[in-house]
Amino acid sequence: MPNPNLETRQVNLFTGDFAAEPQPVYRELVTKCPFARTALAGNPVLSRYEDVLWALRHPEIFSSEMEMHMALGTERPMIPQQIDPPLQTKFRKILDPRFSKKRMLEIAPDVRRHANELIDGFIGRGECEYDHEFAMPLPATAFLALMGLPQAELPRFLRIKDMIIRPQTLLQNPTLEAAQELRKDAGRQIYAFFGDVIDQRSKQPGTDMISYLLATEIEGHRLTREDILDVSFLLILAGLDTVTATLGCNMAYLAANPEQRRRIMENPASMAGAVEELLRWETPVMAVPRIVKQEVEVHGVKLKKGEMVTLLLGASNVDASEFESPEHVDFARERNKHLAFGGGPHRCLGSHLARMELDVAMQVWHERIPSYQIKPGETPRYSPGIREVQYLPLVWDRV
Amino acid sequence: MKVVLDAVRCTGHGRCYSLAPAVFGEDDHGHCVLRLAEVPPEHQRAARIAVANCPEDALEINGE
Repeated sequence: MPNPNLETRQVNLFTGDFAAEPQPVYRELVTKCPFARTALAGNPVLSRYEDVLWALRHPEIFSSEMEMHMALGTERPMIPQQIDPPLQTKFRKILDPRFSKKRMLEIAPDVRRHANELIDGFIGRGECEYDHEFAMPLPATAFLALMGLPQAELPRFLRIKDMIIRPQTLLQNPTLEAAQELRKDAGRQIYAFFGDVIDQRSKQPGTDMISYLLATEIEGHRLTREDILDVSFLLILAGLDTVTATLGCNMAYLAANPEQRRRIMENPASMAGAVEELLRWETPVMAVPRIVKQEVEVHGVKLKKGEMVTLLLGASNVDASEFESPEHVDFARERNKHLAFGGGPHRCLGSHLARMELDVAMQVWHERIPSYQIKPGETPRYSPGIREVQYLPLVWDRV
Repeated sequence: MKVVLDAVRCTGHGRCYSLAPAVFGEDDHGHCVLRLAEVPPEHQRAARIAVANCPEDALEINGE
């Protein structure tokens, strides 16, 4: 029986207003409605830390194996995000070493140099549009370098990525069908592009990711061409979008909270703690989907096989049963087991890349432009789904 | 003071070796390895914080 003390309610997770300030909704869900349903499809939404962590750790119940309705322009599941253990574990074994913390720290000097170059381009102007002039090019450039892809392809990749992740923002008439067509078109472009890269690297191997995947074996077998395409598809989507979103969320927060910014300036060593705490508070990847693989009961509700469940990572990160004073954004928080990178076997593959980029980008920015604000009269604009701050005009005193 | 690692639970978040690098290290896959069997007093505070920050609850403090 559903627990009569808990409210049932519907939440619309796909609006710009919710993306701009999701925390009040999270608080309501966590305290009053840990089992909610999405407004559009009526799918279950879990929000409490304990429930989300439990679901993340149990892929045999909450599967990542996609069904067609989840397709992001793909013809097959993306690897390893949309496959389950034990196969997923085998792919993580070959991919994790390429994204380890020590490996990511090796490219930190390149990211630092590029961050300075980007700032050189606009610091004298006293203003910039942070998303397009900093948050998009910085991680995208680092990512293309890791993949061994030409920087000249950047604008094309950014467009393809947006066609898949937020097609509604590119369409005059954003119907579901039109969005899905745009995604399929983008998907075909990605497969064709990486197909050519695979052909080229087969003939002339380098030190890049595709060459590595071509030379790597799982249990004595080379990866298939489709395997490599399915890994590449995921890497390009994840690598071009999530750090951009996180940088925007962080800077929008700090621009609006000068007393918090001053804490960083007074104690630059607090940056690592600030990055973790802002990951918790902002949780740019608000939610991850799972498919019920075996019947299970949650808060008195029976979930059937095949039901799609939304795990609201952002809500779990403000659950008072795990986080002391969750509404207090505290850069010195000692215990911070946030789930901004998920958890369990699917813990974000790029989390060490992301942390390095966030650390470096935020350090360099505050060394160069310590005092800034949102341009008076303007309002940042957040995209639903993954919270990219697509419009973030910042101003500062010219030096 | 000792720390105990449950390597099956570790999924490589890397919070431990970022917060207490003297006590925890990383293997080639970015998963936790223990550097010190016995944690000396000067590293105990960092070790405690690291253990409290493991999102997989893969670490425990033992022997106090």
